[in-house]
Amino acid sequence: MNRAGGATRATPWLFLAPALLLLGAFALVPMLRAARWSFTGADLLDVGGARWIGAANYSDLLTDPRFRRAFFNTALFALMVVPAQAALAFFLALWVNRPEPHWRWLRTVFFVPVVVSMPVLAVLWTMLYQPLRGDQMGLVNALVAGLGLPAQDWLQNPRLALPAIAFMSVWQGVGFQMMIFLAGLQNLSKDQLEAAQIDGANAGQRLRHVIVPAMRSSIAFVLTATLILSFRLFVQPYLMTRGGPADSTVSLIQFVYETTFLGRELGRACAGAMLFLLLVAGLTLLQRLFAREVRS
Amino acid sequence: MKRALGWLAAGAIALGFLLPLLWMLHASFRPEAEVFTGGFRGLFSFRGLGLDNYAAAWRRAALGIGLLNSILQVAGILGLGLLFNSMAAFALARFEFAGRRLLFGLVLVLIILPVEVLAVPLLLTVRDLGLTGGYGRTLAALVLPFAVKAFNVYFLRQHFLALPRDLEEAAVVDGAGPFRIYWSVALPAIRPALATVLVLDVLTHWSDFIWPLIVCTRAETRTVQLALANLFTQPPIQWGDILACAVLVTLPVLLVFRLAQRHVVASDLGAGIK
Amino acid sequence: MVGNGQRLRLRSDFPSVRRAWQWTLAALLATGAAGCAPERPAAPHVVRVWCQQGQEAENRAMREMAAAFNAAHAAQNLAAQITFFPDFQYTEKVSIAAAARDLPDVLALDGPTVAQFVDAGLLRPIADWFSEEELADFAPTIRAQGTLGGELYALGAFDSAMVLYYDREMLARAGVEPPAADRGWTWDEFLAACARLKAAGFDPVSLHMDESGDEWYTYAFSPVIWSAGGRLISADGRQVEGVLNAPENAATLRRWREVFARDFAARAPIDPNPFGHGQTAMDWSGHWMVRAHLAAKGARLGAMPLPRMGPETVAACGSWCWGLTQGARDPDGAALWLRWVTDPVHGIQPIVAANGAVPARASAYPLFPEYADPPFRLFRELQETAGRPRPRTPVYPTLTQHFAAALRDVARGADPQESLDRAAAQVQRRIDRQRGAP
Repeated sequence: MNRAGGATRATPWLFLAPALLLLGAFALVPMLRAARWSFTGADLLDVGGARWIGAANYSDLLTDPRFRRAFFNTALFALMVVPAQAALAFFLALWVNRPEPHWRWLRTVFFVPVVVSMPVLAVLWTMLYQPLRGDQMGLVNALVAGLGLPAQDWLQNPRLALPAIAFMSVWQGVGFQMMIFLAGLQNLSKDQLEAAQIDGANAGQRLRHVIVPAMRSSIAFVLTATLILSFRLFVQPYLMTRGGPADSTVSLIQFVYETTFLGRELGRACAGAMLFLLLVAGLTLLQRLFAREVRS
Repeated sequence: MKRALGWLAAGAIALGFLLPLLWMLHASFRPEAEVFTGGFRGLFSFRGLGLDNYAAAWRRAALGIGLLNSILQVAGILGLGLLFNSMAAFALARFEFAGRRLLFGLVLVLIILPVEVLAVPLLLTVRDLGLTGGYGRTLAALVLPFAVKAFNVYFLRQHFLALPRDLEEAAVVDGAGPFRIYWSVALPAIRPALATVLVLDVLTHWSDFIWPLIVCTRAETRTVQLALANLFTQPPIQWGDILACAVLVTLPVLLVFRLAQRHVVASDLGAGIK
Repeated sequence: MVGNGQRLRLRSDFPSVRRAWQWTLAALLATGAAGCAPERPAAPHVVRVWCQQGQEAENRAMREMAAAFNAAHAAQNLAAQITFFPDFQYTEKVSIAAAARDLPDVLALDGPTVAQFVDAGLLRPIADWFSEEELADFAPTIRAQGTLGGELYALGAFDSAMVLYYDREMLARAGVEPPAADRGWTWDEFLAACARLKAAGFDPVSLHMDESGDEWYTYAFSPVIWSAGGRLISADGRQVEGVLNAPENAATLRRWREVFARDFAARAPIDPNPFGHGQTAMDWSGHWMVRAHLAAKGARLGAMPLPRMGPETVAACGSWCWGLTQGARDPDGAALWLRWVTDPVHGIQPIVAANGAVPARASAYPLFPEYADPPFRLFRELQETAGRPRPRTPVYPTLTQHFAAALRDVARGADPQESLDRAAAQVQRRIDRQRGAP
């Protein structure tokens, strides 16, 4: 916009001021303070008395079995959720992508768990995963038993707890990724598809040679977004398992939380937070590079 | 015939997908002692259904005040966010100024910043700004840090960029200043994008957990999710009450989604991504 | 004037600046107070009180207590203002409030968490506000849980007691003989009784493994470790590695686990009160259930000390108590509240009538005739002869978090030694970091 619109040099900054102020105060300042505290022995209850201890927090975290476990669990969770959710969302999108308005309800169905908030679903699935006891049982075990399989103590078994949480998380979030794929599909030109059809390509070939290449940016977005979201794992283990059994569901954010509020070790928690941020930044960068590679 | 089969398959899959939520709804009306009885067949038991759980949940979880708090929180974030995010987005889309590229880069970086992990430094910052303690302060602490969202700025900027310039230029000829153009021309033109942002914000913040958990220390500042978590962890554990509370927490956001659904077109979501 | 000081403190940005403000204000106030006549201002002097939200009867009793306090102190223009906090992670909430510099004048604390607040310099010694005789009137367990480094920081109105409740009729039908009065079973006798009950078709015992908070596990099952002669942490509070995970403790938990392995108790119960509902024959529980159980069972209700692994019966004890914060605006006024809530007539009687806990002062017992008979009499005996408070250490929240996780894991079948090793390593690292810090 030029000066004819009455804009002066200050105008853009007036427009930006509220956003910059809030982002500065509530995103940049906390981040910088966390970075500084991460090199101190700051105590939650006595932040002022913190001493500079160099990288001691970092070296301690990297050798702490619980932090490593939290890291491993979070990565494992992402590894379970991201491919499953993206693939399921993609096929659901292909399936519900029908022009007739009377099929619209199907999209709503898959989106409903997204609307129901995560704490509610964490509470609900804790009940669904209830083990069998007499004629009392959770729905999951009722279904499993109905299929003639042995009932499981899903959230109390160190091998099953994280997969069980991953399963409910995929179910919860798949509708959102489906919507994004749906948007991508609707931007796909009809001509491309029809041309492919006339060429006699079958469904598999159409998918590989027409749909997937055309959806590249949607796919990249969904993978990145799901990855970052899955790294934020907190509510499910916090409410469903408290990180147990045998530390099998403790997550990075949960580690930071308990280090702060149970251990009072603010400096150490901030070091954990900084490592987490580095990780997320690194993953995003990697994904960007990868996406660029694919595109060229 | 084939079509009927298609419908049948779709119906079955949809039913299976929603089964957990249907179970929640049904069990929330069952008597406390029977919530888990009967396994799968329990789903078809209609004996003794009633509203007792709802009455108890409403009272024990103090849901009245919880709902009010959550509504104020989300409304505050939506209101301030709508204004501040779109203003920033408009500036980034329409003005040439030194540092624009840098600022835009910053926005892109902040999109991936997971707020949860910085919750504690944020708490101490909020404290130093005097936003802890009383009811009004706590509410401000719930709203202000999340009103401006990098993703929303980015998303709205993309939509402003996609607007044809003719309209705005016509307004300039009419003598409109930049704020008039933003408010009366550009903003109304991206209404679907605004609706999308609003709905996403409602979904995100209605389910906020870790930040309210930290900042809402007192019973009267609790949001709905905390009220539910409290019911879920404080003995005596009453499963029926918990389920009824879960349903009550879900209803408002479901309602909002139902009302807003037709304004949010999937393709808008896509436009911001590229 | 004092109120303004509080607000100013909240506003200033940096801790050092804030501290400077505090000192300046304190100096100003001291000189001001010396210069002014010692009259109370016209507006009521408010003592801000925080406490955990308990059961409804307890909350009501607390409110009535505050109303009585305010009426009695109207002449001195002193009024208490109570804020209830959800029990859901109360201690975390207090830590957060402390970090946010938002603490009240007086606050309720769970016994074992007193140490960390003392360590952080948030509480002030309170012995000066009580006479020697008054202090001697408090149960030793209650004084012990509030004492750190020889200073008294907290006192409570009541103590807790844990017992094994049983249904006389169910035991009789299974042919199980309850032990002689006041004498608990050994662990083997307990397991044998469970086996007979199970053979007779009963669910033997409930251990409440559905509790979501960590504290239940540490509170309820530390006595098992203690009765076998084990410890959670060394006496000087510096060593957990080699203490908590001593092979003897692992062996104790291996025997403890049999209750679950042989399906005598549910690993993941759904019903929070199966004993009251007639589902189980025995209940590993405490004073807080006595009134409900009496109402449900009447004369069928029996109670005995918890089963012991060694020669000695040890009972868990310790409960909520009151501390006075360093930042209290009017410590003398706040101390009046402290005296009120621990007074036999004004404080102990109403709250104990509401929650059934064990009175914290010997002189309060005459107010409770039921303490002449079992099961109440057993509570008092256990507290006086076998009560042991949980460890007093600033790292208690970390200790209880990891010990509770180990107990839950062991109950699910994990190896006791491995579980305790993992817990001990975490707590030891925490202690070493604290000690290594300058």
